[in-house]
Amino acid sequence: MKKFVNDPQQFVPEMLEGLALANPDTLKYVPEYNLIMRADGPDENRVSIVQGSGSGHEPAHVMIVGKGMLDAACPGDVFAAPPFDYVYETTKMLASPKGVLLLVNNYTGDKMVFEMAQEMSSAEGINVKTLFINDDVSVEDSTYTIGRRGVAGNFFVIKAVAAAAERGADLDEVIRIGEKVNSVTRSMGVALTACTPPAKGSPLFELGEDEIEMGVGIHGEPGRRRAKMMPANEIVEELLTPIVKDLPFGDGDRVALMVNGLGGTPISELYLLYGQAHKRLAEQGITVGRSYVGEYCTSLDMAGASFTLVKLDDEIEQLLNDPAEIPIRVF
Amino acid sequence: MTATDLADVEFVVRTLAETAVDKEKEFGDLDAVVGDGDLGYSLARGFEKVLADWDGFKRDDVATFLQQVAVAISSRIGGTSGPLWGTAFLRASAASKNFDTVDGAAAVAMLRAAADGIKARGNSDLGDKTLLDALIPATDELERQIQSGADAGEARAAFAKTARECADATSKLEARRGRASYSGERSIGSPDAGAVAITIMIERIVSEWGNR
Repeated sequence: MKKFVNDPQQFVPEMLEGLALANPDTLKYVPEYNLIMRADGPDENRVSIVQGSGSGHEPAHVMIVGKGMLDAACPGDVFAAPPFDYVYETTKMLASPKGVLLLVNNYTGDKMVFEMAQEMSSAEGINVKTLFINDDVSVEDSTYTIGRRGVAGNFFVIKAVAAAAERGADLDEVIRIGEKVNSVTRSMGVALTACTPPAKGSPLFELGEDEIEMGVGIHGEPGRRRAKMMPANEIVEELLTPIVKDLPFGDGDRVALMVNGLGGTPISELYLLYGQAHKRLAEQGITVGRSYVGEYCTSLDMAGASFTLVKLDDEIEQLLNDPAEIPIRVF
Repeated sequence: MTATDLADVEFVVRTLAETAVDKEKEFGDLDAVVGDGDLGYSLARGFEKVLADWDGFKRDDVATFLQQVAVAISSRIGGTSGPLWGTAFLRASAASKNFDTVDGAAAVAMLRAAADGIKARGNSDLGDKTLLDALIPATDELERQIQSGADAGEARAAFAKTARECADATSKLEARRGRASYSGERSIGSPDAGAVAITIMIERIVSEWGNR
């Protein structure tokens, strides 16, 4: 497998360096802790919003640090939770009198590290809370998870809590909003190919030329079933149905719909999927109020996609509508 | 809090650290039977950092010292060992603040706080085939000995003996937490690597106590 790599061990630091050099006015890079933070933060009048995770999911989450989104992201190595001291030092550097919110997708390793960082920094007087995101309806327990996994749906939690923080909400209010958005967000994805971690150099799991993994996790974890390749509309049906049934979403609901590319699927295919999903929802009386098509939370170079639905109310929709300024932009 | 108290706590932590470093291969081999074999490596790297930072730790009191140990051991360690041991030291640090002197009762309270921290952080309990299956009954026995008026040497010996018996008995359990849980029933027949590791550490602390 051909990759743009120098030393696989330096893959993440070199990516972060490039990101910082491309955004000198808005981002600050602290190499000691893999930390990307807003150049103008922390702000003493704003709750700091921090997301941690493994790398390999870009643009999540280092490339969504900026005004109206994250105050900081501290990734670990590819598909690995950040070490404890990265999170602990990040929390201290982002400490604002209004508090710090650590957002974490629900994986056992990340959960332990972030909970401990919260406990340690609380003991030192920092006002810090942790919120776990678990939007993936595919499976309950999984390779790295007890309970449901957190996947692309965390973008909606991030956007809403960051908008609330930007408006001046206190830490309890920010958490209330984050929990509310997580509770109405559901996702599921499919892999057409496996992904290749730079340090491994070969595919992470076996997937036959004519096979797809329904309900795949963003680290290549198994989903619901291994299926034969099928027409796109049938894939949309198989992913959307469990999402809609889970909350459930129903006639009269207004939603945000995200079609997220997993890293190796062209945007043309993502729009093809979006069109079918939009129409399928309309047939069920579900209106798309906001749409998102592109790469948000990827799995390195995996070909595949995930769908996310968020049930909107006035409060959530207004927060999603607030402006944001982050490195991923067209112009 | 006296200088002797801090010296005793330093002796315990230093012995834990030196055992983890000395026994890296043995602990790794134990874990490789049903886990992923990284226990020896993770503990050795974590405690190496403790030893490397040793001279720079603040020693205002036992709580401060243990908190610094917690940060050091959790740093730069992958897997779950770092946060679990870090939480244990952090909770022991907090528990030590309730005592003027580190006597037997304080030691029991700190061990209990450490075990409770591991339970909470790891979402695990007795019977899940983890180091808790040695640590908790050994702590119970230590408390029983102290309350029944046994002398300190007898109490320590009983503490180590119970840890060993209970670690051996984990062979009968099926792993329900950690990577070993992926092998489910196959884990029956081998003791839990973490329970054996903590027992080896306890045995060394008890046997070297007189020479500290």
